[in-house]
Amino acid sequence: MTARLTSFALAALAVVGSSQAQAQDLAAWNGVWFTEQGAGTQISGFLASDDTHRTTQLPLVDLNAPWTNEARARFQERLAQAAISKSEGWGYPMMMMTLTPLEFVVTPEQVLILTIYRDVRAVHTDGRELSAPEDRWVTEWGESVGHWEGDTLVIETVAVRQPNLFFRAPPFSEAARYTERLRMVGPDRIEGEMTIEDPEALTRPWTVKQAYVRAEGLDHLVYDTFSNDRTTLEDGLFAILPPSEDD
Amino acid sequence: MRWPGIIVLSVLAASPPASAHHSPVMFDQTRTVTLAGTVRQFQWTNPHCYIQLVVEQDGQQVEWNLEMGAPVYLANRGWRPSTLRAGDRARITVNPLRSGANGGLVLDVVSLDGKPIGRQR
Repeated sequence: MTARLTSFALAALAVVGSSQAQAQDLAAWNGVWFTEQGAGTQISGFLASDDTHRTTQLPLVDLNAPWTNEARARFQERLAQAAISKSEGWGYPMMMMTLTPLEFVVTPEQVLILTIYRDVRAVHTDGRELSAPEDRWVTEWGESVGHWEGDTLVIETVAVRQPNLFFRAPPFSEAARYTERLRMVGPDRIEGEMTIEDPEALTRPWTVKQAYVRAEGLDHLVYDTFSNDRTTLEDGLFAILPPSEDD
Repeated sequence: MRWPGIIVLSVLAASPPASAHHSPVMFDQTRTVTLAGTVRQFQWTNPHCYIQLVVEQDGQQVEWNLEMGAPVYLANRGWRPSTLRAGDRARITVNPLRSGANGGLVLDVVSLDGKPIGRQR
């Protein structure tokens, strides 16, 4: 009897210890993270590296992915318009692989992933399943469920509205299914990969890798409106309007 | 020199876009211009921060519209809303607008005696 009680007590202690460790690990995800390539962004809002690297900065903006012919043509058309287009934000999946920062808010029941454009992804980690296909609410950010495999967050996402908000967003269809694996490999580094299955836009699954590093000068994001847009178009070129008299 | 107080510098490497708002095509990233003047206004706003800089050109006071990244990028580099105030004198290096209008993309900000303003890198 004593031996049984002892082993029960030890097992209970192990459970408590495990949940405490998990709580500490989850808290470590909270905060602001840049993609590895976005961490060098200057006060200009741009990187200080050679322009020839531009297409490699956004891993999802890749004409060499296994696109169907029709999807590649749509993507090429979109990219051709990019120079005179503005973005309304990112949407998913672009928000995960941009040069702007992300904020993770992690609880045992859900993970929120946010951007300064007020993109919000709610990843439910409470054990629920994805909605039935006929009940899915299609949005720019999709519907996500996740679970933890040790230090790895595994996310399944569906019901993402296309085209996306970003002017260079790839032409995935609303039938796409996204599987992400995000693993904290150190206190200031998360490594991830995303596999996209899209029977309409891709000829086979496509996997893209992305690493994140903790922001140097920010421990939280501040969410503001985007009301001071002074960029305007004149004769096909952008120009800067003077400030309004009210400012 | 065409514009007193303005120095056209060497070719600078162009930059890939970090901001989601628009592409950098509006700025001539092969040229830099350095402006010395007085800050009339510093806007700490989305999607861009802006500096209104008054520069003396040919005996006239000319105001430049200078664009920066979103506040999040400035904050991550140590800038704050109070980093520049009206009346501050500054020397600002920009990629000028392709259109030739008095505007540009801010690359670097220092005081007139060369001290860094904010922590840019």
